[in-house]
Amino acid sequence: MGEPRPTSGSANHDGLDEFDAPAEVAASARTQRRIALAYGLLFAIGVFAAPALSLTLPWWSGARLAGGMSPGFVVAAGGLYAFFLALGVAAASLARSVEVRMLGTSDEEDPLP
Amino acid sequence: MSGLDAASLAILGVVATLVSVLAWRRTRATTVDFFLAGRQVGMLTNAGAICGDYLSAASFLGVAAAVYASGVDGVWYATGFAAGFVPVLLFVAAPLRRLGSVSLPDFLAVRFGSDHVRLAAVVAVELVILSYLVPQAVGSGLTWELLVGEGIAGLSPYATGIVVSTVAVSGIVIIGGMRGTTWNQALQFGFLLAVVVWLAALLWAGGFSYPQAVEQASAAPLQAVVGDEVVEVVDRLDGGSATFGEPGARYGPVGQLALLVTLVLGTAGLPHVMNRYFTAASGAAARTTTVWVIGLAGSFYALAVMLGTAARVLVAERADEPWLADLTVDGVLRVPEHALLVLGRLLADTPGMAIVAAAAFAAMVSTIGGLLLAASASFGHDVVARILRPHGGPREPVRAGQAAVIVVSVVAAFLALIVEPSQLLATFPSLIATMVTWAFALAGSALTPVVLLGIWWPDATARGAVAGVWTGGAVAVGALLVGLVTGADPSDGIGAVLLAPALVAAPISALTIVVVSRLDPAPGASVAVWTRMHGTAHERQMERLARVTLRDRR
Repeated sequence: MGEPRPTSGSANHDGLDEFDAPAEVAASARTQRRIALAYGLLFAIGVFAAPALSLTLPWWSGARLAGGMSPGFVVAAGGLYAFFLALGVAAASLARSVEVRMLGTSDEEDPLP
Repeated sequence: MSGLDAASLAILGVVATLVSVLAWRRTRATTVDFFLAGRQVGMLTNAGAICGDYLSAASFLGVAAAVYASGVDGVWYATGFAAGFVPVLLFVAAPLRRLGSVSLPDFLAVRFGSDHVRLAAVVAVELVILSYLVPQAVGSGLTWELLVGEGIAGLSPYATGIVVSTVAVSGIVIIGGMRGTTWNQALQFGFLLAVVVWLAALLWAGGFSYPQAVEQASAAPLQAVVGDEVVEVVDRLDGGSATFGEPGARYGPVGQLALLVTLVLGTAGLPHVMNRYFTAASGAAARTTTVWVIGLAGSFYALAVMLGTAARVLVAERADEPWLADLTVDGVLRVPEHALLVLGRLLADTPGMAIVAAAAFAAMVSTIGGLLLAASASFGHDVVARILRPHGGPREPVRAGQAAVIVVSVVAAFLALIVEPSQLLATFPSLIATMVTWAFALAGSALTPVVLLGIWWPDATARGAVAGVWTGGAVAVGALLVGLVTGADPSDGIGAVLLAPALVAAPISALTIVVVSRLDPAPGASVAVWTRMHGTAHERQMERLARVTLRDRR
């Protein structure tokens, strides 16, 4: 990943007390990008594996788990939504924790409780 | 139209108008207030509003129709629509909000520091909005045709539905702005969700078994109505006849891949959905909101798929009822988009159909509202306030945006009136969902690549962004036109790629951005912009102020 172009002036946002050091932000953005790509890969595998299995594995569409529902039908009609939610909760939680750990460490010590 | 039908539509209209008037009384005529509801929309309200924005006629009528018409192959519409928010969560939501813009073109213009990028994005945004508005208007026409069956002032029922919905929503948006539209969308999504939960509860109360329904629907070859005849649907994978529970009724391998990629990529480029993120209080709130959206939308789509399955079985079982005779041929619906409406009547008689129809109108109204507001923001803010009249007063962008609402809605209504749904149904069995896919293709090709690279690649330059938007948009529009003019087969092969072109157009757009940016001597993102987009200083400051306020109150 390249680096953002330096500019004159402060990176202090809106002149508020809190500020982000550009080096911290660049490092945090790189970490966030790696996390997003890793989860994105997991997401792509989950989404595209289901139709791929239906084309390559006869059992996936031919077997019956309950009534007329094949494994492929169960995954497409319900399982993938649960997968999206679990992935989303995990990714959001990790992204938030990275922000908390990597940003704002250059601020003055917060005197408030 | 029965008294009940009229009452359900009247209640919907009255509630929407009251909400808009209430919002209007709290809205000041400024850009941030009219277009962004003061950036103070709560997470759950925003999640509901995003769902209301996103779950259009394509989702409410179209997903059940796609499942009804194509079985498990139709389920991929629902999966693709729901999946689209995962990339938004991972790559877009928080940085988009943190840059703090007014619209998607504004975000890109600030990131790339260029009004050329802004103009290119405005053109792409307006095209996406138009192509998304037309199927909503078509849905209004089809629903009015079925529910009311009569025209007003010499218009056909189909045309009346289009005109009534267009006029009503334009008024609601002009009066209520983003605040009124947000409240309406959140309420309308709550109504939609309640209706599908209610229908599911009625099914279960009547002894419905989902696994048995799939088995029953899969017992015989899948059938469709073409003209006035029932024909067996051809299996695109193995030849022979397709069945409900197995793939092949609608797509070959390429068709399925093209559809999924188009829906997954398209969401991050939809201006009416992305604009909602600018109303969130912070980047972290935007991210959490998206998690809520994934949960709520997933619940909705899972139920919609089940209802489409139930419609396949119940319509065939009760096709001898007189009122169904005009709508079916040998137990198969002529128009698959009627599946949910008919199911409502089968489960709860006339009131059931009236309530489902009101929900269908709510779905269309909330999406049309979001689309018109996005058109309004990109014209009022990006074109008028930033380019044509940068020194104008604060009310000018709002007035220009309100005028844009009228122009865009008239153009969309005109285009919808030209469309002949009956002629297109033979090629596209679930017409509304298919037409919305074209809007997703355009968004995913012209806007998503530049949004993603703009957020995560600091070396992307303004020239690269402009080239990417034009190239992606041109390839997508060209492919769609060629596909439609030549009557390409949307189910597989080159036809599927032409009619869901993001599979090819998005990589071409991304590659164009990378190559042009690499060749461009101009610098990429500035430190100030990068720090604002990926930093959290402003949010920490807000948290600190909140803590100070709480401490002082104690």
